[in-house]
Amino acid sequence: MLTVEKLTKVFPGGTAALKDVSFSIRQGEFMAVIGLSGSGKSTLLRCINRLINPTSGRILWDNTDVTAAKGAELRRIRRHIGMIFQQFNLVKQSSVSTNVLSGRLGYVNPWLSLCGYFPAEDRARALRALEHVGIPEKIQERADMLSGGQQQRVAIARALMQEPQLILADEPVASLDPVLAHSIMQYLEELNRKDGITILCSLHFLDLVHRYATRVIGLKAGEVVFEGLPGELTRERFKEVYGEEAEMATLGKPLD
Amino acid sequence: MDHKKPHLLIGLLALVIPGAGHILQGRKQQGVAILAGVPALIGLGLWQQTPLVFVGAAAVWLWSVWDIYRSLNEKPSGTVLPFLAGMMAVYAAAVAATDFQPAKLISGFSSIKPVLSALAKPDILAYPTQDKIGAAPVMVPCIDPLPRPDVQGSRRTVILTDSACAAVGETIRIKGVGFIPNFEGELWWRNPISALQRLTKNGRPQSFKTDEKGEFTADIKIPLAVPLNAMPAPGRTQTHQIEARQHKPYGSLQPTETLRLVVAKMGETLALAFLATVLATIFAIPIGFLAARNLMGGNKITLAVYYLTRTVLNIIRSIETLIWAIIFGVWVGLGPFAGTLALLFHSIAALGKLYSEAVESVDPRPVEAVRATGANPFQVVIFGVIPQITATFLSFTLYRWDINVRMATVIGLVCDAGIGFLVIQWIRLGSYNAMATTIIAITLVIAVLDYGSAVVRKRIIEGIPVGRGKKFSRRAMRAAGAICFVVLFIASWRAADINLDAFVRDAGNGVRLARELLTPEILDRPTELRSTDAELWTPAKSCSSKNAATTGVGPRIRLSQSCADVGDALTITGEELPPQSRVYIRWLFPDGGELRVKENCCDTDADGRVRLSTRVHPLADSKNYNGRPVRVSIQWHEAVGGLKLSPAVIKTGELALITLLMALLATTLGSLIAIPVSFLAARNIVGAGPLGSALYYATRTVFNLWRSIEPMILALIFATWVGLGPFAGILALTLNNIPNLGKLFSEAIEEIDMGQVEALTATGANRLQVIRYAVVPQLIPKFTAFILYQWDINIRMSTVIGFVGGGGIGQQWRVWVQLNQYAAAAVATWAIVAMVWIMDYASSKMRVKLV
Ligand SMILES: Nc1ncnc2c1ncn2[C@@H]1O[C@H](COP(=O)(O)OP(=O)(O)O)[C@@H](O)[C@H]1O
Ligand SMILES: [Mg+2]
Repeated sequence: MLTVEKLTKVFPGGTAALKDVSFSIRQGEFMAVIGLSGSGKSTLLRCINRLINPTSGRILWDNTDVTAAKGAELRRIRRHIGMIFQQFNLVKQSSVSTNVLSGRLGYVNPWLSLCGYFPAEDRARALRALEHVGIPEKIQERADMLSGGQQQRVAIARALMQEPQLILADEPVASLDPVLAHSIMQYLEELNRKDGITILCSLHFLDLVHRYATRVIGLKAGEVVFEGLPGELTRERFKEVYGEEAEMATLGKPLD
Repeated sequence: MDHKKPHLLIGLLALVIPGAGHILQGRKQQGVAILAGVPALIGLGLWQQTPLVFVGAAAVWLWSVWDIYRSLNEKPSGTVLPFLAGMMAVYAAAVAATDFQPAKLISGFSSIKPVLSALAKPDILAYPTQDKIGAAPVMVPCIDPLPRPDVQGSRRTVILTDSACAAVGETIRIKGVGFIPNFEGELWWRNPISALQRLTKNGRPQSFKTDEKGEFTADIKIPLAVPLNAMPAPGRTQTHQIEARQHKPYGSLQPTETLRLVVAKMGETLALAFLATVLATIFAIPIGFLAARNLMGGNKITLAVYYLTRTVLNIIRSIETLIWAIIFGVWVGLGPFAGTLALLFHSIAALGKLYSEAVESVDPRPVEAVRATGANPFQVVIFGVIPQITATFLSFTLYRWDINVRMATVIGLVCDAGIGFLVIQWIRLGSYNAMATTIIAITLVIAVLDYGSAVVRKRIIEGIPVGRGKKFSRRAMRAAGAICFVVLFIASWRAADINLDAFVRDAGNGVRLARELLTPEILDRPTELRSTDAELWTPAKSCSSKNAATTGVGPRIRLSQSCADVGDALTITGEELPPQSRVYIRWLFPDGGELRVKENCCDTDADGRVRLSTRVHPLADSKNYNGRPVRVSIQWHEAVGGLKLSPAVIKTGELALITLLMALLATTLGSLIAIPVSFLAARNIVGAGPLGSALYYATRTVFNLWRSIEPMILALIFATWVGLGPFAGILALTLNNIPNLGKLFSEAIEEIDMGQVEALTATGANRLQVIRYAVVPQLIPKFTAFILYQWDINIRMSTVIGFVGGGGIGQQWRVWVQLNQYAAAAVATWAIVAMVWIMDYASSKMRVKLV
């Protein structure tokens, strides 16, 4: 469903964050992207929905060329791709309901939305999405009154509002403590299993990869250095790929 | 459905008493807002007689009923519409109350044009000139015989005319001799009252050029140089003069006299600010400790001292420096000393407050740690407290120095101190170029100092020592700094014209003034002038009746005789008048004239009697009035009715409201303009490209320079432009707010969390939607906080902007002080204090809620 071909990104400063990255995801997969900090995980995910414009290469989404899309077409592609961020990126001064509803912005009448109007069915949908992530009672609160885990759930609800076929999750649990991390990952797993939403998730924790992913690619300095099943990525293999001194934390107990 | 009836009742109640329905429904906040808001709006409407205000009030009222009706169907309606209607009404009232007429900007442009064009060519450097001026009289028009002219022509530089007289519009030929050879000159015409005008030829200013002998000839058309109503009567003539002027520059550029004055006065300004800051720091340090709660909260006595200090500081602080300047001007006489005292006084209060806050925020843990080592209280302060507060104190002091320089530049607008005095003087004389030079100098100096002190303050707070290098050189620098400081201090002391003698000698005066300015005349008993009178006939022989008195009970007058000759002795007695009060005894002449019988007279005794012996006044002769008698009257003021609010209170109330509305309009306009502009000064909006950077730096620089133009000076300019009054004040404040708010806004924009923007972009939202849902929500609370803060400042400023013609309560305060009506001024003083306090409190509360 998503094919990435020879994707390269060179930032204006000259940093080559991605070099000829190619891979593809099939419908229904839960693919993890791992790599040390600075290896290009975020850049990769942002290229896919074009928050960053790649320097060269192609991204095909159900046979549409994302890299060539512009304006309204690009927004149509984006509205089917949910995104979840490490820092949640909620609009903190807005209410939870506005944050969740803003997931519908790609669908609703743009002019009405500027006046703050959303159709009743979308409002109902927002409540369902919040019920889905287990915090319907927070709907009227200001987003910054919520705890980190709750905020990330709101962010998931916002992504759900997009009726996404793919969710890009950029280290969704890196700012959360271990227990919360598992609960958030379980929501993603559920979306993946039950609703068949494809998930591309960058992760910092090896055991989360083992626990939730169906496939893994590893990035190192912008290049794909590993691609396979989670089971194949043992601790030994990891050290082989990233070098002796590299370490990736497991939840609770760091490697080494 | 059985609930319907009470609902209907509630609805009816809402129709009768606005907001009552909401309160009954338990929506207290909304209810009270409506209950207070609607009558307030109606009041504004009645006050200003503006229909639009009533429309707004009606809209809010009707909405409240409609909202009750809606709530029956459990569909609450939004509060945006009534809010907008209410605001519309307030703005309509504000526009009417403040005489807000943008058209005046155009109609008044001609009076400001010379000032604006002068700003483009300040009077800084000029070549010294060698001047040759020749003059010759011309009589206009010709009469026969022609009188000799009132003035003689110049001697060495001669102008010869081919005719001694001419009529307006005729042409005469002149010849100039003895001028600078081969050089140009200008031709001027001087009318009989010495007003000069440039002669024109074909609509252009007329010039001449001399030949190598220093001679020239020119044809001159006699101009119309006196107004038509001042033209000589037929058969008369007037002496005019032709002047030919040459100014030949030589040598090199020299600073002008203006520039020299500006530099001298600028030095004085800086000296005042320096002295006031240093002295204020010395006084404010102990006060800062006395006003710190954590130190003084220990027992009842110290707590009382704490509250007392705080209150006094707050009162002094809320009265603007310029007001203090006027007060001290009355006390010790206008001049630099009064200016210094005003700056000093206000600074002590402001610094005292800041210092006390710094002391209050001292971290108790290190103090405890020092105490735990067994240090005595003195050591605890030195090692535990002082290190924590030094940097903050220093930075506050620098900040104050900044403010004092700004204040010192404008203090001259009200008393003869510092550079502001030059501005006022030159605007009165119409020397616009000189005034422009001064304004530019003030602006530049403030901009430079602002920048410098911002840098230094940042370094102090970050703890970077001033001056790098080895220990020795640092010590040397410190010593040099100390010497500089002492020298500056002594120089400033001199410049400030410190006269402690006058200060002490006139202390009684000052205290009395302060007391009068703080003792308001709130209630007033209205009085009426009553009188009683008796006739006096002259001369005595043509008169029959011999005793003249108003009889019966009540106030009455009796004359010793009712027939008398001019110069005869006359005793005037008044009875049953108000006891122990002033009465006025006057001659009333039949032609309507009046004359006091005696100056400074008279007071009644305890029984209400008064007696005055005098002589019959020469004007009292009945011959002058066709035999009608003159009258003698006793007049007195008698209280009628009960106590009423004094006119000063009513006037003050109205002006206070106008001042608030001025601040409101200025803040609104300033914000509306600043918001779009601020995006140009935000790095993350304009981008890092060359065009973006250029835009960014240009906007920032303009903001910074513009911010340095004092609002008082803007008010002065706008008062010239659109006339005295609140509108000038609004324009000045608006213009001052744009760069201030623009700067704050652009900094807020630069702090936008781009993650939120990114997240919404990722949902497929378009650009406008992203702005609406990710940018606007981030900006609204910050912008609102800044706007409230600015409104707060505007209210403070609008209390003094009236001193130079900006309207509002300040203008009236100054008028009252100048008329010695201190009791009325006291009302305004307290109104100012109250306004500043309430706004301070309200806006800080609102800001806390927002952020
Ligand atoms: N906006 C940017 N401009 C310049 N360099 C960037 C930018 N974003 C990321 N980089 C660089 O690209 C590289 C990859 O970064 P990133 O994709 O954030 O890595 P990861 O998410 O794996 O930690 C890093 O070297 C980073 O410094
Ligand atoms: Mg990253």
